[in-house]
Amino acid sequence: MIEVKNICKKFTSDSGEVIALDNVSLKVNKGEFASIIGKSGSGKSTLLSILGALDTPTSGSIEVDGVDIAKLSASQQTAYRAKKIGFVFQYYNLIPNLTVLENVMLALEFGGTPAKERKGRAEQLLEEVGIEPSQQSRKPAKLSGGQQQRVAIARALANKPAFVLADEPTGNLDSETGKKIFELLHRLTRTENTTILAVTHDMDIAGRTDRTFRLKDGKIVTA
Amino acid sequence: MNVVTRGIKNALRSPLRSGAIILMLAISIGLILSMLVARSSVDEKISEVKASSGTGITITPAGVRGFSGGGNALTSTELATVTNTAHITSTSVSLEDQLGTSDTNLTASLEMGNFGQRQMRFETESASSSASSTTINGATTTDSTATTPPAMVARITVTGTTDTSSISADGSDLNITSGESFDNTSSDLVAIVGTDLADKNSLAVGDTFTAYSSTVKVIGIFDTGNAFTDSGIIMPLVTVQTLTDQTDAISSIVATVDSSDNVSSTVTALKTALSTTADITSEVEQAEASVSSLASISSLALAGVIGATVAGAIIILLAMIIIVRERRHEIGVIKAIGGSNFKVVTQFVTEAMTLTAIGSVIGLVLGVLVCGPLTSSLVSSQSSSTNQSTKIGGGPSNTSSSTSSTENGAPEMIRQGFDKIGQNFAQVTGTLTPTVFIASIGITFLIAIVGSAIPVWFIARIRPAEVLRTE
Repeated sequence: MIEVKNICKKFTSDSGEVIALDNVSLKVNKGEFASIIGKSGSGKSTLLSILGALDTPTSGSIEVDGVDIAKLSASQQTAYRAKKIGFVFQYYNLIPNLTVLENVMLALEFGGTPAKERKGRAEQLLEEVGIEPSQQSRKPAKLSGGQQQRVAIARALANKPAFVLADEPTGNLDSETGKKIFELLHRLTRTENTTILAVTHDMDIAGRTDRTFRLKDGKIVTA
Repeated sequence: MNVVTRGIKNALRSPLRSGAIILMLAISIGLILSMLVARSSVDEKISEVKASSGTGITITPAGVRGFSGGGNALTSTELATVTNTAHITSTSVSLEDQLGTSDTNLTASLEMGNFGQRQMRFETESASSSASSTTINGATTTDSTATTPPAMVARITVTGTTDTSSISADGSDLNITSGESFDNTSSDLVAIVGTDLADKNSLAVGDTFTAYSSTVKVIGIFDTGNAFTDSGIIMPLVTVQTLTDQTDAISSIVATVDSSDNVSSTVTALKTALSTTADITSEVEQAEASVSSLASISSLALAGVIGATVAGAIIILLAMIIIVRERRHEIGVIKAIGGSNFKVVTQFVTEAMTLTAIGSVIGLVLGVLVCGPLTSSLVSSQSSSTNQSTKIGGGPSNTSSSTSSTENGAPEMIRQGFDKIGQNFAQVTGTLTPTVFIASIGITFLIAIVGSAIPVWFIARIRPAEVLRTE
């Protein structure tokens, strides 16, 4: 379970103090597929980075399975990201000079999987998301956008995270492929009981998730 | 695949750029090696100069130089003083004399020439004046002598020595072309004869000649390549002292000092001890001058090493900064999915090390190619002249090397190239001491570490939230 309580994030810029997140609270249960929608500048990215332990809030707490990730040190955050959070990005963000298989193995390495077990686990994960063994030794650039996003999902799920944070997972894909990726994510929440939080501007996708949060000027307007 | 293999793999990610970085590194590492080799051979040369030329002190009777001037010969008393002076490790003693036409049956091999004639003009004058005085005083039979003064003939130099190697110009063993040398402490009536004098008088080993009314046996012929020396006779010191009725007389002492650092003080000590009886000269000033110029080459080479190291470090530094900046986003991704700073840093340091390692291998090869000629041009003109003479001797008759290479075509050029590389390698390995090698390896690693230091700082500062930056 993810429970966000009263988080605020303030930045100091040349034009004065900017409030990016204003007293945001939300709650997502285990195995739920939730979406966050909002216009650009609404604070989506800031919320995402705080949820992803990439940044710390000015105030408030984020409890994930009883741990307040807002209070972690930088190195604890790194370890937390490696083990408890899976990221899926709009532009896939695979490491270009590593093969598909090596990309998944990299996440397993950071998550602390013993070296001998990495290859087997990575192959299994890739198969689950629909990447054929013949494609696993290719570089990401040789795959289509949809396939790359599947690899990114396999990488995100590698360490059985507490939740998967997806930043516009279908944003860079055509609607047909986007639908398939959405279905894949949806299926995983069911089969693997994975909690997924997806930031999107696709209302069609948002409408089909278990829960939708709308952000406006740093505040949750619909829950 | 672990962090190290990823680093190595990343080093070769962009072949063109990696190639350019490696080439630049190789050039600076090659420079480092050649400068280190040059420095070590210059240092070697310095100690060689210090050890040899700087340590000799020549003690001659006061007022005497060669056969000119006047004064009393040195004796065993002065020799004892010299031998007992601190820091003197060895002495070689000689007595020189000249054989005139009345002293020997040998004919001098040197022509008088205009210089010789000028030096002899006083003796001719005295001879003709004594002849004319004879005419005034009496018998007419002396008239013929008066009208024809004795022909001017060069004299034959006789050297009595306790060390025949002191005769050769470079201090090496005297080159005996036939027969053998004598025992330095001998007092036998034996001589070794210069090759020019032997030719002039058809002397061979076993022949005898007359000198100072004694019969002297030729036991060897020597050849120094020096016209003056090769027209002379060398005998044991005691023999010359006995033959010339100058028992105990010495015309020159060459003393060797244990270290060039002590030459100045020893010269001072000797000048005090033998102030009235001897003139003392040493090569100390000359040696100091030549060593100081070599020392400046040595420090120049050291400056070269430092310069090339700095250049190498800057190359790898800039390359790594560019690489890190370029992969900012990728570093952000790695950090976001749980890669620690340590892992990312290790990966990039490995990448820098890999580039440096490849660069140093190529650089060492380049260094071997470059530093042979560089060292010889810096240190010894001798080796280059040897090379030239080998070429002239070994090449096809009367064809220049360029003609011969065009005639023989490419394979010949390649063969010559390999020969040259082999020569260079031999020259380099001669001076490529373990110290130099360890120093180059150490400097190379220093380059890699310094070169990665700032990029590491950059990496640590990259925030994982970078990953959310809009592309």
